[in-house]
Amino acid sequence: MLFLAIKNLVQEKTRLLISVGGVAFSVLLIMSIQGLYQGWSNKIGEYIRTVPADYWITQTGATDMFHTPSVLPLTVRDFLTGVPGVASAKPFSGRRVAFAHNGKDINVYVIADDTEINVGAPARVVEGKAVPDKGEIIIDRVVGRSENIRIGDTIPVAGRTLKVAGYSEGGYILSFSFAFATKEDAESILQLPGATNFFLVTVKDSTDANEVASRIEADPAVDAITKDRFVENNTNIVRDTFLPIILVLLLIGIAVGMTVIGLTIFTSTIEKAREYGVLKAIGVSNRRLYTVVVEQAVTAAVLGYIVGADLALAVSAAAGTFVPEFITEIRWLDAAWIFAVTLAMAVVSSLLPVRRLARIDPAEVFRA
Amino acid sequence: MSVVSVEDVSKTFGAGHTAVTAVDHVSLSVDAGDIVLVMGPSGSGKTTLLSMIGTLMSPTTGRILISWQDTSTLGPAQLSRLRLKEFGFVFQTFNLLSALTAEENVMMPLVTAGVPRKEARAKARMALEQLQLGHRLRNLPRDLSGGEKQRVAIARSLANDPRLILADEPTANLDAKTGQDVTLLLCETACRENRAVIIVSHDQRLRTAAKRVITVEDGRLTAEEPGEHNLNCRMHPGTAPS
Ligand SMILES: Nc1ncnc2c1ncn2[C@@H]1O[C@H](COP(=O)(O)OP(=O)(O)OP(=O)(O)O)[C@@H](O)[C@H]1O
Ligand SMILES: [Mg+2]
Repeated sequence: MLFLAIKNLVQEKTRLLISVGGVAFSVLLIMSIQGLYQGWSNKIGEYIRTVPADYWITQTGATDMFHTPSVLPLTVRDFLTGVPGVASAKPFSGRRVAFAHNGKDINVYVIADDTEINVGAPARVVEGKAVPDKGEIIIDRVVGRSENIRIGDTIPVAGRTLKVAGYSEGGYILSFSFAFATKEDAESILQLPGATNFFLVTVKDSTDANEVASRIEADPAVDAITKDRFVENNTNIVRDTFLPIILVLLLIGIAVGMTVIGLTIFTSTIEKAREYGVLKAIGVSNRRLYTVVVEQAVTAAVLGYIVGADLALAVSAAAGTFVPEFITEIRWLDAAWIFAVTLAMAVVSSLLPVRRLARIDPAEVFRA
Repeated sequence: MSVVSVEDVSKTFGAGHTAVTAVDHVSLSVDAGDIVLVMGPSGSGKTTLLSMIGTLMSPTTGRILISWQDTSTLGPAQLSRLRLKEFGFVFQTFNLLSALTAEENVMMPLVTAGVPRKEARAKARMALEQLQLGHRLRNLPRDLSGGEKQRVAIARSLANDPRLILADEPTANLDAKTGQDVTLLLCETACRENRAVIIVSHDQRLRTAAKRVITVEDGRLTAEEPGEHNLNCRMHPGTAPS
């Protein structure tokens, strides 16, 4: 009976437009926020993924780069290199630092770019110098653009004035971003005499990485966290901040979508009550009539999804060029579950019209 | 051969002192090829009787047999199926589906009965052509005149080769001439194919088509007389008896 459902929908163009628009709005909302969440989750992991390490060694209790500070004495390096199976252990220094620019507080995560041991270089430099010299800093392009900090400008960081020498990419996370200074400058900004924040450990090819990790953790002062786990821990920061917001917006989106489809299908069912009565009279079973209503809801929902998903893609592409912070990634998986949610919305919102349909008395059709 | 047999059927609406007995101990048997005209004053129970025969309403007492089957023993899904296969309905207000074209309206019962779309379309087209509506196939009901709408409804009622066609005041929303023409067309088509027709109408001129004329008063059958039945029921070439 799909043809009847479609004919009924097309007959009432205004109503169809409203229900498609309502679903499109809710899909746009859900997909954009999900894309933003995914984009940011990815970004935060992106830089960490480029850092060469099998294990991140942290001060016991520190699980990521942002929550609990991790400070380790440089002497830990001797312990680590002495652990059988460890190929290399290199210090990684970086911490979140705020500075004022144009009356606004800007957060950067300053990382020591140690060219001697090849640790702490930016993931990608897109403009200017790739390696900072003394008194210079490389900042993320997103921050440069959104805060209007140009290459050649100077910024005050922790009492020092640094000249912006280049823009890097792939290091922007929510409200702050990675920045890169020379080892010496970073040490004075981060104030870590004789200490660092993490050690990056690589494991010899022939050895069992898990065993090496437990040998390292024999020292109660440190934790060994696999690279994947460390990426995940940092990504979870985005999840923890965003999940409640996403859930609220998801619920709003679903409520809007369901209300709009529900109301349009319900009013259409009431208006067509007599025709449904006629169909009952001429021998169309209740079940098939329910199908007609559900098909109408689902068809409107699918159209709404197509419009909403296209809008979400267009909006995130457009917004990304105008608002650099707007980093989105819309994955197939997310498109799929949002589609499933849309279908579920359609089916659930047909329940009320279906109940109404069940009550139509076919004998009424003989009354003029 | 009895198509429908009404056995001592009554229908009471409501209860207590507001109860209305719309149909009062009616018995009636209709055979294949019968054309029964049911007449009677307003409120006499004609529509109620027709609704019960059409299984849209169940009797309070008595029973109705359709092709020897007691309808009270059937569930809603079986009744639905029975209506689809055995009955055609024609209404005073035409009751076409407004979103569908003439052709699609006629296809509806066919498709519901499981006839493939293509075959259903061909059948619908042929039926409409026989009712001189070959040029209106793609029109929506709102673009058809009353008489055209009723002819589409007749084609729809005949689509599944029903044994019995039930028509309640099919002429009431049409001008006298059109109403009569359309109803005669229905009777002719039906009797040519040996289908039974029950028509409820106030229109005395339909006596010319009827084989039997039944009068209902206060819910009771008070008279039955033969109709004039001067219709041309000879078969058209190409239309097989059912
Ligand atoms: N659903 C109902 N509930 C209560 N009373 C009803 C119902 N349907 C019909 N009646 C009553 O039953 C009686 C018979 O009604 P019915 O419609 O069968 O008459 P009718 O002969 O078709 O009249 P008309 O020629 O005006 O169409 C009337 O008194 C009517 O008010
Ligand atoms: Mg009536």
